[in-house]
Amino acid sequence: MADIVLDKVSKKFPDGTTAVRDVDLEIADGEFVILVGPSGCGKSTTLNMIAGLEDISSGELRIGGQRVNDKAPRDRDIAMVFQSYALYPNMTVRENMAFPLRLAKLDKETIAQKVEEAAKVLELTPLLDRKPANLSGGQRQRVAMGRAIVRQPKAFLMDEPLSNLDAKLRVQMRTVVSRLQKQLGTTTVYVTHDQTEAMTLGDRVVIMRGGAVQQVGPPQELYDHPNNLFVAGFIGSPSMNFLTATVEEGTLRTALGDVPIGDRIRRELEGADAPRELILGIRPEHFEDAELVDEETRRRGMEFTAPVDIVESMGSDKYVYLSVEGERATSAELEELAADAGAADFSGAGSNLVTRLSAESTVTEGEDRRVWFNLEKIHLFDPSDGRNLTLHEGRAAGTLAD
Amino acid sequence: MADTTTRAKVRWGLLDVAVVVFALTPVLWIMSLSFKTPATLTDGKFIPREWTLENYRTIFATDQFVRALVNSIGIALIATTIAVVLGAMAAYAISRLDFPGKRLLIGVSLLIAMFPQVSLVSPLFEIERQLGLFDTWPGLILPYITFALPLAIYTLSAFFKQIPWDLEKAAKMDGATQGQAFRRVIAPLAAPGLFTTAILVFIFCWNDFLFAISLTSTERSRTVPVALSFFTGASQFEDPTGAICAAAVVITVPIILFVLFFQRRIVSGLTSGAVKG
Repeated sequence: MADIVLDKVSKKFPDGTTAVRDVDLEIADGEFVILVGPSGCGKSTTLNMIAGLEDISSGELRIGGQRVNDKAPRDRDIAMVFQSYALYPNMTVRENMAFPLRLAKLDKETIAQKVEEAAKVLELTPLLDRKPANLSGGQRQRVAMGRAIVRQPKAFLMDEPLSNLDAKLRVQMRTVVSRLQKQLGTTTVYVTHDQTEAMTLGDRVVIMRGGAVQQVGPPQELYDHPNNLFVAGFIGSPSMNFLTATVEEGTLRTALGDVPIGDRIRRELEGADAPRELILGIRPEHFEDAELVDEETRRRGMEFTAPVDIVESMGSDKYVYLSVEGERATSAELEELAADAGAADFSGAGSNLVTRLSAESTVTEGEDRRVWFNLEKIHLFDPSDGRNLTLHEGRAAGTLAD
Repeated sequence: MADTTTRAKVRWGLLDVAVVVFALTPVLWIMSLSFKTPATLTDGKFIPREWTLENYRTIFATDQFVRALVNSIGIALIATTIAVVLGAMAAYAISRLDFPGKRLLIGVSLLIAMFPQVSLVSPLFEIERQLGLFDTWPGLILPYITFALPLAIYTLSAFFKQIPWDLEKAAKMDGATQGQAFRRVIAPLAAPGLFTTAILVFIFCWNDFLFAISLTSTERSRTVPVALSFFTGASQFEDPTGAICAAAVVITVPIILFVLFFQRRIVSGLTSGAVKG
């Protein structure tokens, strides 16, 4: 057990590309930290540097207070679970799990006992004498975890360990991983590109983009108070709606009508170099069918009317897609997010608003519907650098805040 | 559907039989000759009228053949072992590492494989005479390794490339040194490749005639293919055909044994289950 500290860690490849840039991160003992980001953001490279499988170009990596930059993986005492599982196909499950212990030159009885224990935790006992080829995907995944936990290392590193499982099993294994980590209390660094995994698993989430850390924090904080456009768009499913907003006469002109702004935001926008064009972000759940909103709540937001495109009923609530006029918000961050989602070349005319309304809403496809949204929960971003303008002392409080 | 598959099977079966007959007829003919008596040798019958083991007795009676057999086995085994070990290390480096001069190394080894061996015989002869290697075991082992290495590197690097790299990373994370990762994880998985390469290299060394006849002069290091060419009858008028045939049959036996022994270890799909493919 140990803490892991990354101090301005960078990775430069021989061809000149910088995969990871000045990452500062302190992972406390026993903490479960998730590195998340779109493909190519440097999360796996960061993990490999912690593992020792990649050299650190500059900066310092400390595990348990000790500088380990130049130590081989075997001397760092950390275990890793690979996306591909990487089980040794020539060995049985038992031999696979015993392998790290045998390399550590433990005596036979201790090895047998430790393997049995780990197998029991992961319910692998009946499979111990099978070869990996005769196991299902989920079983292989558990063996890979077993091989990691068996020698009680200082830390676990997991590189997208669940991404090869089918959707149902992934959800199931997610709880297994979570419970196991709590049970063992071992420092864990977990890499994923799936924001749901990041939100559900981690004590803290590190969002990376283009080799740099965007924001670090507990999942809920990232969700409620995103630092910038990228974090806002990456976290949440369905993702945040983005609209262009123009600053005119002390209000924000948007496709949803004129949005009033509070004193603090106004002061910020008064500067000479303040942007005239902004990006407005609203999460789907901050919309509501205007019919279902009581007076008290109504005052905290504003209403607009828009034609209903599609209604998806989820049972617990309804996803309603509204067509709104006006340009789609654009910025480098949003384009990158779209590219990662594979939707870069797919965009209809105008912009589409995703809203999550109560299940009681009687909304139907094709009609024009009056919809309310919460002004206290909206975010404003500067399109040039993606900064969240509504953020004050790390807190986002909508546009109205004074 | 079933009809076409049966017909296809028959067609392929006939084709297979044709190939096997074509390839095996000379071998069977030699076997038949080796059991014939000198008088019936040229009667043109496939099945000998009179069976005899005289030819076999003759070749084992002469010290010449037994000695050559020992030379052949020894030289081929040593050359194979060294070539496979060196080849494995080189192939591993080529398939796993990016080092300066990698392309050059591959290019040069390809060049060696393509170089006409006969053009090297005279220089080798001179070099070996100067170095005192002429007519010794190392005198043959060294050129065999030289020419077997490109072959070994090529086949082995193909096998190494199939092994998922994650396995090696996993081994390192589990606490293995580079050497341990290679010996305990990579090499067992590359075993089919190692055995395939060993068979190919062994056959190459075993069958070589060119180097063996040029770089040897006495029984000290003469290998079987060369010894065969020096066979003479009891008198100069006697035809040693029977004895040569018997010897030819005898020298194919080790190679068949070698292949059969290693073939059992060539299990395909050894890496299945390692990673989700």
